[in-house]
Amino acid sequence: MKKELYVRQICLFFIAFLPVTKIFIMPSIISQVANEDLWISVLINVILDLFVLVAILNTCRKTNKTYIQLLEDVFGKTIAKIIMFLYVLYFLLKCFISINEQKTYVQLTLYETMPSVFYFLPFFIVCIFLCNKKMNVLGRLADVSWLLTTVGFVLLLSLSFSNVQFTKLLPVGANGGLNILHGYYRANTWFGDCVYLLFFMGKFNTDKKNNVKIILSYLGACLLVVIFAIFFFCIFTSIAGRQRFALTDISKYTTVINNVGRFDYIGIFCILFSTVVSVILPPFFACYLLRKIFNSKNTWVVSSIVTGIIFIVVILLTQYYSSIENFIFNYCNTYFILMAFVLPILTPLLLKKGEKYELKEN
Amino acid sequence: MKLEFSLKQNLNAIKEKLTSTDIVFLELKRGINSCLIFVRDLVDKEMLGELVLRPLEHAKKDISANQLNDLFLSPEKKEIYSVSDVIEEVLLGNAVLICNNMNFGFSFGLIKFEKRAITEPPTSAVIKGPREGFVESLPVNISMMRRRIKSSQLQIENFTVGKYSKTTLAVCYVKGIADNNLVKKVKKKINEIDIDAVLDSSYISKFIGEHKTSIYKQVGNTEKPDILTAKIMEGRVAIFVDGSPIALTVPYLLIEDFQSPSDYYNSSYSSTLARAIRLISVFISILLPAFFVTAELFHLQLIPLSFLLTIVNSIKGIPLSPSFEMFFTLLIFEILNEASVRMPKYVGMVVSIVGGLVLGETAVTAGIISAPTLMIVALSGICLYTVPELEQTFSLIRFIFLIIGGSIGGYGLIIALVGMLIYTVSFESFCTPIFAPFSPLITKDLKDGLYKGFLIEQTNRPYSIKTKNRVRLNIKKRKEK
Repeated sequence: MKKELYVRQICLFFIAFLPVTKIFIMPSIISQVANEDLWISVLINVILDLFVLVAILNTCRKTNKTYIQLLEDVFGKTIAKIIMFLYVLYFLLKCFISINEQKTYVQLTLYETMPSVFYFLPFFIVCIFLCNKKMNVLGRLADVSWLLTTVGFVLLLSLSFSNVQFTKLLPVGANGGLNILHGYYRANTWFGDCVYLLFFMGKFNTDKKNNVKIILSYLGACLLVVIFAIFFFCIFTSIAGRQRFALTDISKYTTVINNVGRFDYIGIFCILFSTVVSVILPPFFACYLLRKIFNSKNTWVVSSIVTGIIFIVVILLTQYYSSIENFIFNYCNTYFILMAFVLPILTPLLLKKGEKYELKEN
Repeated sequence: MKLEFSLKQNLNAIKEKLTSTDIVFLELKRGINSCLIFVRDLVDKEMLGELVLRPLEHAKKDISANQLNDLFLSPEKKEIYSVSDVIEEVLLGNAVLICNNMNFGFSFGLIKFEKRAITEPPTSAVIKGPREGFVESLPVNISMMRRRIKSSQLQIENFTVGKYSKTTLAVCYVKGIADNNLVKKVKKKINEIDIDAVLDSSYISKFIGEHKTSIYKQVGNTEKPDILTAKIMEGRVAIFVDGSPIALTVPYLLIEDFQSPSDYYNSSYSSTLARAIRLISVFISILLPAFFVTAELFHLQLIPLSFLLTIVNSIKGIPLSPSFEMFFTLLIFEILNEASVRMPKYVGMVVSIVGGLVLGETAVTAGIISAPTLMIVALSGICLYTVPELEQTFSLIRFIFLIIGGSIGGYGLIIALVGMLIYTVSFESFCTPIFAPFSPLITKDLKDGLYKGFLIEQTNRPYSIKTKNRVRLNIKKRKEK
C-alpha cells in the first residue's frame, strides 16, 4: 500500500528542520550555565532523543498502525483523546518559545532599524496555510528545505571557521557535571524533535535498513547543532552567555565579508527559510491532533483557531513575555520531558499490549 | 425522427431545422429522384461531382439500395437513418444524399476548407530538430502524430464538446503505456464539460483542471508533434481540439516548461548548461527586483560598499521611493510588453524605440528613475523569457514578491517564498505532484530535470508519471548488438 511519506523524506525532514531552531538563542542559554561544556549538554539531549528515536522506529517496524490507533487499541478512545490533548498542549507550549524567538530575531537583529510587529504578521498567514495541509506536504517540503539548511550551515560554518579557537573548549568537563546537566535541562525545550516521528507512525514503510538510514540522518542533523555550538563558544567565549542570535554575527568577522559585503546573509536567509517551516511544525501537529480529537474535517477552522491562540499569546501578550518564558523554563520542562521523552520511549510497550488486546478480541 | 420512404416528407423535416442560406439542397431529378444536402463552403465540390454526382447519373429509377451503395466509391461513406443524423452530418461538413423510396441516406466525408500550411510554431523555434508545428485542423494534427507513432497501440478517441460549436476533441494515448485510470479520468472530465462553444484548446484545459483558482497551469501544452510524441511516450495523455494548433497533455509537471525541444537534439552538456541557465534566469527574474528593493530599504549591509556608493549616487534626487520606483518601472515594462504583443508588426518597431530609448533613457536623464532600477527591470524581463511558457505566471509572482519585499523586507520575502513553496509542493495535476521530480524528490528523474543526461542513460520512463510499462530502452538488447 502506498504510504503518505517516504523513508527518504523522513531522513531529509530531520536534516532540514531539526538543526535550524537550535542555533538562535539556545547556545547562549546553555553557555550561561555550562560555559565551554555546552556541547556536552547538547550531546546529552541528542543521546536521550536518540533513545526515543530508536524506540519509535522499532515500533514502526513492527506495526502499520498509527500512534493514535495504538493508543486507542490499548487505552480506548477516551484516554487516547486525553493523551492526544496533552500532546496538543505540549506542542502549543513548545511553539511559544520558538515563535517568540523568531519574532525577537526579526525585530532585533534581522533589520537595521527595529521594525514594527507588523513585519512578523505574515508568519501567521503561512502558519494557517501550512497547518491546513496534509502530512505528505511536510515530506515534500523536507525534500527541498534540506538543501537550503545544508547550504546555510556550510556557508556560515566555513566563513566563521577562521575565527574559531578550539582551545577555548579545554579542559573538557571543567564546569562540573551539575552545570552540564543544568545546561541539558535548559536546552530541553528546544529538543524533543523525535516526538514528531510518533505521528509519522503508520505513514511510512520502514525496515531495519531504513531505520539505520533515519538514525544516521538524525545524527547528521544533530552533528550540525553540536558543531555550531562549539563554533559559537569558541568565537564568542566570554560574551557567549549574552550573545543571543549569534547566527547573524558568527561569520561577519571574516575578512572576505569586508571586501564582498555581507554575503553570509545568503546562508542566514537559507536557514531562516527552513526555520519558518520548522517553527510551524508544533502548531501543525497540534492541528493534526485536534482534527483527530474532534473528528473535524474543516481544516481551515482548526488551523485558524490554533494560529489565533498562538497569535494572541505571542503578539498580544508581548508585555508578559518574560513571565511566560520563565513559567515555561521553570515549570514546564518536566512536562516537556514527560511528553517528548517518557511517553514516546514507552511506545514499544503499547505495541505489545495492543497485540495482546487484538488476540483477546479474536 | 426516422427517415421515411417519402423524399418530400424527409426534405420538409430537414428544411424545418436547416434554415441557413449556406446550406444547399440539390434536388436531382435525372435517374433516381434524390436530394444532396451539404454546407456550401465546407464540401469539396470537385470530389462531390467525381464520387457522388457522376455515379448517380448512371442510377436507374428502380435501382435497389444495395446497387446504389455499390455505385459510390467514396472511402468515407456511411449510412444514416434519422433526420437528426442527417442534420448532424451536414453541419459537420459532410454531404448527405437521401433518395426517394429509401428510408435511409448516405453521408460522404468530403469536407474541405481553407487551412493554414504547416509551419514552425513561433513559440518553440529550434535551431536543430523538426520544424513542423500543429495547425488548426484536427485530421492534419492527428496525421502528424500517426506518422510518428506507427503502432496499433496508439489510441485516438473522438468526443464532441460544445452545445452549439459541436467541436471535435481527440484523446490520444498509447495503450499499454498510459495509465488506465488517467485515461478514464480524462474522458470523464471531458464528458462533464457543458459549454456553448469551444473556441480553443485553452477552454478545455480550464475545464479539466482540478483547481479552478490556481496560478499554475494544470495542463501542459505544445505546438510541436515531436514534443507531443515524446510526452505521449512518457505515459501522458494528449488532447487535440479541432480549430486549435495547441495540443494539451496531462499530467503536467512544472519542469516540462524548462525543457526546450532543442535539449533533446543537442549534446547533453550544452543542454545541461542551457537548462541551468533557464533555472537561474527564472530565479533572477522573480527575485531580483524584490531582493534589490529589500536590500536598498531594509538590509543595506547586503550590498558591497563600492556598489552601494554607485547606487547612492544614482538614486540621489530620485523623487520616488525604491519600492515604488521599481514597481513603476516594472509596470511600464509590462505595459510595453502588452502593447508590443497586441500592436501590428510594423508598429512594433516604434514601440521598442519609444519604450527602450525614449522612455527609458529620458526617465533616467530626467531623474525619475535610477539607472540600476532600469537595468534590473530589463534583466528581470529578459530572464523571464527564457521560459516563455511560464512568463505570465512568473510575471504575476514577481509583482507579488516585489510588493511584499518592498513593504516587509527580507523576512517578508522569506515568508512569501515559504508560502510559495508550500503552495507549489501541495499542488497536483491529475494526482501527479507538479513540482516532481524535485518534490517529492525522485532522483532517477533528475537526469531529465535538473540536468540533461545522455539519451542511452534514460532507460526508464519518468517515475514522476504513472505508467504501465516503465522500460523504454532495452539496454541488454543494445549491448548484445
